[in-house]
Amino acid sequence: MRRCRIESLGVSLPRRRLFRWGSLQHAVEAGDRCLAASRYKPSDVRVLVNAGVHRDEHVCEPAIACYVQNALGINVDFHGRRTLAFDLLNGGVGMFNAAHLLTAQMLAGEIQVGMVVASEVNSDRRPDPESTFVPSGAALLLDLSPRNGAGFGTFVFETREENADLYTSVVCLKEPRGRLLLRRRAELEDAYLAGAAAAVSEALSRDGLGPADIDLVVPAQVSPSFLARLPGAIGFPADKVADFTATLPDTLTTSVFLALDLARAAGTLAPGKRALLLACGSGVTVAAVTYRF
Amino acid sequence: MPLKIKIESLGIHLPEKVLTTEDLLSVCRSRPRVDLEKVTGIAQRRVAVDEYAADLAVGAARRALAMSRYAAEDLDAVVCTSISKHHRPDEFSFEPATAVLVRRAIGAKKALVFDVVNACAGLLNGIWVLQGLIRSGAIRRGMVVSGEQNMPLAWTATREVRHSLDRQLAALTLGDCGAAVIVDASPDEKHGFHWLDLVTGARHDHFCYSKPSARGKGGILITKARGLQIEGNRNFPAYLKQALDGTGWDLNDVHHIIPHQVSTRAIRQGIRAVGRFMGCDLPDVFLCHAETYGNTTTASHLLALHDFMLKGRIRSGQNVLLVSGASGIVISHATFTLDDLPERYLSHVNGGA
Repeated sequence: MRRCRIESLGVSLPRRRLFRWGSLQHAVEAGDRCLAASRYKPSDVRVLVNAGVHRDEHVCEPAIACYVQNALGINVDFHGRRTLAFDLLNGGVGMFNAAHLLTAQMLAGEIQVGMVVASEVNSDRRPDPESTFVPSGAALLLDLSPRNGAGFGTFVFETREENADLYTSVVCLKEPRGRLLLRRRAELEDAYLAGAAAAVSEALSRDGLGPADIDLVVPAQVSPSFLARLPGAIGFPADKVADFTATLPDTLTTSVFLALDLARAAGTLAPGKRALLLACGSGVTVAAVTYRF
Repeated sequence: MPLKIKIESLGIHLPEKVLTTEDLLSVCRSRPRVDLEKVTGIAQRRVAVDEYAADLAVGAARRALAMSRYAAEDLDAVVCTSISKHHRPDEFSFEPATAVLVRRAIGAKKALVFDVVNACAGLLNGIWVLQGLIRSGAIRRGMVVSGEQNMPLAWTATREVRHSLDRQLAALTLGDCGAAVIVDASPDEKHGFHWLDLVTGARHDHFCYSKPSARGKGGILITKARGLQIEGNRNFPAYLKQALDGTGWDLNDVHHIIPHQVSTRAIRQGIRAVGRFMGCDLPDVFLCHAETYGNTTTASHLLALHDFMLKGRIRSGQNVLLVSGASGIVISHATFTLDDLPERYLSHVNGGA
């Protein structure tokens, strides 16, 4: 069976800027880089999904994907070539959900090229001290792989809804412009590790693979302590788990793909290599998928 | 021929409290001079009391499961498409996804869960997502659910609206409702969705938006209604024609057209736009009940389906066209032929009453 692959990856890295960037700027920067590195034109994108959770001014309508579509100039007018843009929200695993459903649409013959973007920014003027994170953006262009075996394996999502209260993010509407309150309880890391063990085992088993077949695990860069405990929890040697936490803090939804970009730049993921991508988020949901380059 | 999906079950959770437009206007700090009921045709709406958006979604999901042949554990996916995520007073919840809360409440233990948000086109967008997952073989069946507690936006408007041209006026047309459908593969070619298409004209992304108020507490809905209607009506009739052509129908084959229930006036203008585009008199197939329930955003089409099935207007075997315009601007159309859903629904609701 044909697989869906990442045809192009673009990121907007967290870095100091003279003026603070909003979520739309990060998404557009990542999207522009992604399109620039792609063989596709913007007008080829049939579906654009935004999986970022925290957005400028906490806008909840229209879909942020519409603003990104407009800014990237992807079939912005009606008639002629068309694009559907919408948001998919599922915390830190949203980009995986989006890639999964675009894969399904491609395999069903509905679309040929899809794009997933995400960006995360706390846009509050005086952010709640517990709710700060480093802003960033990531974008993927997806198509069906021309090479047999290259691309995503089977997506696995492990949701433990009994832990739903361990990670909440709400906008308090009691004050003007709202205020983001992001709450992560101490037990969250244990829940991530338990979910990761189950999700990784299931993803490998569904693809008929073992840990030895994986060249590199690229997990969400949740924290140094999470990365230290992860290899033991999923049964991989520590040197096979990409740990960029020294330079890359947790960037929520975009984390796995920022780490993938760094791993790729380091030359550890040449064609023919196989990675295991692992995302963690609220729900509590952990997602795992193998990827052959 | 690609696999068709069909609506296997439907659930609507309507709050009991009725609020008239007059009563809503009477609490406005600065009552607009415009006769809102006359302009929009909306006389009343339902208002959730002591329940919130997630509760409305869960209520609708339970009702859909009650008449379904599937149990909660049989669902492979639960997709929540609500815009309003007011799960507690004065809070808008981004995480966890509302679908997780629905999964937890109904016990859909193995369901893939996530939220799809695309303004008022969300529910059709959710069905489109499940269609792809079912056609690709990733899942066999799933639920799309929306719990729309829109009234917090209306309450902000009652505090902030200053005059008859205020851009928050449209928030006073909103109403609350929960809606859910279970979709699965159709066993035959005749029944189910023939056409399901959504397109975003993002050049027009500025006509309608919602965010926290800068002037006080609560969220606001800003609508540049005239521009939204002009651009919508300029563009959607061609897509409606495309949906009919793609299905192999003409207007005489359609038993019912269910537009997004924004207001009776907007629906009338939409009908005129279709008439102009088609260059003919339109059959009397457009269904409107906005006067009773207001604009329930993503729940709007399913609420209309529920209401007109209960009234006996929509019957088994009939052809239905759903039309939606949403901020973005997103234009969406779906055509489907009903199986015995109306009969089953009537018997379930009457049997359960």
